[in-house]
Amino acid sequence: MANIAAQRIKREFKEVIKSEEVAKCAIKLELVDDNYTELRGEIAGPPDTAYEGGNFLLEIKVPETYPFNPPKVRFMTRIWHPNISSVTGAICLDILKDQWAAAMTLRTVLLSLQALLSAAEPDDPQDAVVARQYKENLEMFKLTARHWTNVYAGGPNVNPECDEKIKRLIDMGIEEHQARVALSSYNWDLERATEQLFS
Amino acid sequence: MATSQGNDSDMDCSDNEDCYDDYNDYYNDDNSDGEQLDMSKTDPEYFDYKCLSEEEVERLLNETVESLSNRLFISPSLAKVLLHSHEWNSNEVICKYKENPQQTLIAAKIDPPTPSKSIIVTSTYLSCPVCITTLNIDKFIKLNCTHMFCKDCWTTHFEVQIAQGISTAISCMAKDCVVLAPEDFVLKHLQHKTSIREKYQHFTFRDYVKSHPELRFCPGPNCSVIICSREIKAKRVVCDKCNTGFCFKCGCDYHAPTDCQVIKKWLTKCADDSETANYISAHTKDCPKCHICIEKNGGCNHMQCSNCKHDFCWMCLGDWKSHGSEYYECSRYRENPNIAHESAHAQAREALKKYLHYYERWENHSKSLKLEEQTLEKLRTRINKKVMSGLGTWIDWQYLFTAANLLAKCRYTLQYTYPFAYYMDTGPRKELFEYQQAQLEAEIENLSWKVERAETTDRGDLENQMDIAEKRRTTLLKDFLDV
Repeated sequence: MANIAAQRIKREFKEVIKSEEVAKCAIKLELVDDNYTELRGEIAGPPDTAYEGGNFLLEIKVPETYPFNPPKVRFMTRIWHPNISSVTGAICLDILKDQWAAAMTLRTVLLSLQALLSAAEPDDPQDAVVARQYKENLEMFKLTARHWTNVYAGGPNVNPECDEKIKRLIDMGIEEHQARVALSSYNWDLERATEQLFS
Repeated sequence: MATSQGNDSDMDCSDNEDCYDDYNDYYNDDNSDGEQLDMSKTDPEYFDYKCLSEEEVERLLNETVESLSNRLFISPSLAKVLLHSHEWNSNEVICKYKENPQQTLIAAKIDPPTPSKSIIVTSTYLSCPVCITTLNIDKFIKLNCTHMFCKDCWTTHFEVQIAQGISTAISCMAKDCVVLAPEDFVLKHLQHKTSIREKYQHFTFRDYVKSHPELRFCPGPNCSVIICSREIKAKRVVCDKCNTGFCFKCGCDYHAPTDCQVIKKWLTKCADDSETANYISAHTKDCPKCHICIEKNGGCNHMQCSNCKHDFCWMCLGDWKSHGSEYYECSRYRENPNIAHESAHAQAREALKKYLHYYERWENHSKSLKLEEQTLEKLRTRINKKVMSGLGTWIDWQYLFTAANLLAKCRYTLQYTYPFAYYMDTGPRKELFEYQQAQLEAEIENLSWKVERAETTDRGDLENQMDIAEKRRTTLLKDFLDV
């Protein structure tokens, strides 16, 4: 079985390298080890979304039973998205679970993940806090996602207001990422975020 | 326990003539045909069912499959898929198939929703999209969706899926293809893998029973019995192998007179913390300064928040300092501005009181039932003592077990009247129900008292009491058991 996995990954790797998406810099794939069990993926934030301009790194682990079982994929770049854990990067996507088909490839996975960034499914959340914000305050969600894209994925949209609030918390001795999470979770309400951090 | 109906009959009527016809009828649900008609009218809990072994059920399913396959001139494997997707309703399958075979096959995921383009194979060699090996065309096989994969990949696919417990829902390996692999197709690829074949057949059988509305696996631990009934009603069935009793419709503990939805609602309510929330609302207030939740656990109305040290008055939630020494002023002012606030609290308190009233009784009867085993043990010791000291024979005392079992059965029903009453709308029907419930409760307490103190001479009196209690129980069920 493992032989099929390696054979497949070799072929798929070539397929991605030659694909037109790579030519357009929308997706990227790199090998991490020589026996084709771990790869590094990269997807560009889709245009006209809060993720635009960001580049998101993915950890791809190929199980021995591949392609009869799906690859294990996780976001290594921190991201603010209802279907992706803001803590671990775990992804909730049907084709990575029971809707996987042996004939799918890493290219289809990368493209599906890119599509997930354009169209979130807040009713099937991985991160409940993000999903609630998405449903209750879409503008606040977009602002937060854009800010995270800027900070963690190299996106172009700097938000001085967010940075200022984070700086206030850092001055109080809070670690930067922890401060960002607290503010993001409380719709950038400095008072409530502070309360939560010190309670 | 109250569910051990089968046991009772063994105990009462195995080899003595002392048991009484009224109870005899009651305890033997599977009586001769002559009595059945009568039973279904007089006993609101009467239910016609059979306990079957796995082999018997397999035979039953195979007969259905065979007759359908003969009727429609289709393979047994296809007949199985069609039955499985139609809750084993042969007539429905026949109707639909005769009306529109194509649509029926699409709905059962045998054929693809859109007819697949016929692939014209020009060369004798093909590359398998899964293992990307180029092989001779005769090594390839396809389902009705015409997606071609090599035989080895099909085998591996089935092995991986079966290892994950998937059987009747194994689909084609192509992207977005919903077509399912029928039993004969799967088995063909597992010819030399006996253990996986067996696992697969075990899983498919489990799926078939679960999709069959007239069959239920006995929920007893390690029990393989399957209960079968033509009617799907919320009635008590008892497994004749492990004695587990349950509601045929929902598979949970039997719950008459409450129905399946209501008991589910009640059990969820008891389990989750929705009532804790009510408790918090009824017994706590938020600190007016830092908004932390505070429980008042003493009589003094001068509160100090343990979180922010804010001093305030429990009555008006105002700052304690402005109170000064004039405490009573606050109760005077309180009434108007806070009335809406107060009534919300009052409402929550009232709801909590109501729930607790029913819950305490429900919980109490449930605990009493758990003590039933001990009561029986005590009875046994007492009877032994009596027999040893020459007060009657063992047989003379058997009626006490019958009484104890009946007591358990009545208590069981009584326990389940409380969730029923909790969700009942107020009105004359509820009044009637609560009247009957009270009557039943009183007679059960009488019976309980008499069972605990019975002497041989009390026998007539006790049997009279058993009769009354059981009549009350049956009357209540007749009037309110709505199945």
